[in-house]
Amino acid sequence: MADEFPFEISPMFEGERIRKDGMFVELAGPKSKGFELVRAADMDDVEDGRFTLIGPDLSDMEEGSRYPLAMVYKIAGELVEADLESIVERRNHEFQNYIQGFMHLNQRDDVWMRVSKDAVEKGMTSFESVAQAIMMLFKNELPFIEAVEAIYITDMDEIEKEIENARAVYKGRDERTRDLHDEDVDTFYGCTLCASFAPTNVCVVTPDRISLCGAINWFDGRAAAKVDPEGPQFAIPKGDVIDAESGEYTGVNEAAKRLSSGEYDRIKLHSFFEYPHTSCGCFEVVGFYIPEVDGIGWVDRDFAGTAPNGLQFSTMAGQTGGGKQVVGFLGVGVNYFRSPKFIQSDGGWERVVWMPKMLKDKVLNDIPEEMRDLVATEEDAADVDSLRNFLKDKNHPILERWVEEEEEAPEEEEATEAAPQAGFAAPQMQMPTGGFMPSMPMMTGGGSGGVKIVLKNAKVSIEKVIIKKQD
Amino acid sequence: MAKIIAVTGKGGTGKTATTSLLIRQLTKGDKVVLAVDADPDTNLPETLGCDTSKTIGDIKEYMHDERDNLPPDVNKESILEGKLYEILEEMPGYDLLVMGRPEGSGCYCYVNNLLRGIMNKLVTNYDVLIIDAEAGLEHFSRKIFRNVDDLVVVTDGSRRGLRTAERIRELVSELETDVSNIYVIANKVTDANRERISSTAEELGLELIGMIPVDEMIVERDLAGEPLFDLPDDSVAVQEVERIAQKLGL
Repeated sequence: MADEFPFEISPMFEGERIRKDGMFVELAGPKSKGFELVRAADMDDVEDGRFTLIGPDLSDMEEGSRYPLAMVYKIAGELVEADLESIVERRNHEFQNYIQGFMHLNQRDDVWMRVSKDAVEKGMTSFESVAQAIMMLFKNELPFIEAVEAIYITDMDEIEKEIENARAVYKGRDERTRDLHDEDVDTFYGCTLCASFAPTNVCVVTPDRISLCGAINWFDGRAAAKVDPEGPQFAIPKGDVIDAESGEYTGVNEAAKRLSSGEYDRIKLHSFFEYPHTSCGCFEVVGFYIPEVDGIGWVDRDFAGTAPNGLQFSTMAGQTGGGKQVVGFLGVGVNYFRSPKFIQSDGGWERVVWMPKMLKDKVLNDIPEEMRDLVATEEDAADVDSLRNFLKDKNHPILERWVEEEEEAPEEEEATEAAPQAGFAAPQMQMPTGGFMPSMPMMTGGGSGGVKIVLKNAKVSIEKVIIKKQD
Repeated sequence: MAKIIAVTGKGGTGKTATTSLLIRQLTKGDKVVLAVDADPDTNLPETLGCDTSKTIGDIKEYMHDERDNLPPDVNKESILEGKLYEILEEMPGYDLLVMGRPEGSGCYCYVNNLLRGIMNKLVTNYDVLIIDAEAGLEHFSRKIFRNVDDLVVVTDGSRRGLRTAERIRELVSELETDVSNIYVIANKVTDANRERISSTAEELGLELIGMIPVDEMIVERDLAGEPLFDLPDDSVAVQEVERIAQKLGL
């Protein structure tokens, strides 16, 4: 089939760079305008194989010059639907690069193409041959496309008229994409890029959970795993849902066992306290449990001060990192704050009590409106006492948890009256001023009802302890 | 497959000048060269007479800062590739890429991984890659460049400069990068130090492939801040670099 084209078509030409010295013309790109767009259409509206050019053709172009170029493909078929548009559109990049002497960079309204002098000498004198080759590849490689037609535009006025429509289509697509959730897919992605720092780390990237480093979203994982399934990003079949609320899946648990060499066999993707996600060495933000208020604070890498628990990001990161599942601490990527499933099994935003101001401002629009004023920053609270007062003043929903505790444990309440921080019965810990870090109490979440407290390198000063036998 | 040559050495020995002259020599033939400035401290573009402002460091920072604002399903490799092509300065006979500033405090594992893939593809478009590398060889330890055919250490007449060559050789053995050959070029050579350089190099077991004499034309241009790329053919340094290029099989 390829014989009919005045150029060769092969994946081996991918990555072929056309330098200025060897360039016939440059099309679109950072110094001009253009776009590529695939639209799903009805069979009746698509004339299969038809090519339309609006503006000058390659043969009319002056060597060494730059022209705008827009490429629109209309596709139709029984299985063609709008959701497939972006997948097909992305292939335009790949297929145009298969053409010898044709270079395609970027995508959407950032496209940038070059045609080589050699290619024009060998007969690539019309965009029609290029468009016909692409249409052939579309139909061969993507059999759900039954009919396709192409419209190329090299006329600047026409492109300026059409480019806004294209942008509106991209925007609509992005909105739909952002609406993709864990329950909509059957595959998550894993990543081992930082396995050398964190050998037991199990990084699971889902539509509702970005990688801890913040760099890899579910789509990046999918794209990379498709190109190289054995590479650093790979598919994790979701398996069966064990618990949707906390985000526990059989596939993830199996992957956890495999990736951590047996160290961990359960991971709940949206849980803070129970079988939390492991924390690598690259996470952008670390969450920390503040037992005195039964809330969770978050501190990011850029915050140089100390959190209300008296610790800095680096100290907590050092303790949490390395690919461990550390109850009481959790590394996350900033974008996880935008997830609708953000630590949902532990109360989500209603459990959040503190963040550095810079971080809070960054994600402010993603905080539920009623919670925006209730999360303290370093300007509101620098230590646990001022944090407790802030939360009381603001009537933070966390107060309901305190009340529950008070009601459940009236005797302890009485017993700890002497302590200056009465009001909540969780173990009081004096945070060390530096270097030391107590591990948090294991939250066993019911069952035996026992509490395990592990203190490492801790200094604990207690004025009075009363231990009573259970009635 | 492109031949990859890395030029390194102690600061002030003239490694950037030597790199420029090697590039100058190569562009006289029909080889397509990719010149890479991988030393945040030197000025290869200026020495070549090339006006460039954006660096790989800038686009890595862009990828890092913009990642949450980019469309979620956008292909980030394709974005990074496009950005890289934008900063690739196209000069007659060669392209120039500047690595630029070091990374910020975030995690760059992912961006570097994408960059490695793109660089591997890009390199296949050239006959020769010449890298002006800082002595710490950071970009090599990060495997942005997979392997090096010839590592050329530029030294001045001092024993310290030759010691640096020795240390770089040790450093290379610790890197996971494959380096096929390590050579030494002595720069700013005078009749007074010529013999001693030879004997010290021999004593340290270093393979000396050229001795570039002090060149008044270079001294003048350095003082005036003018590029070295258009030095005339009768410059003594140019002539020695021509011989060195032959020895490197270029």
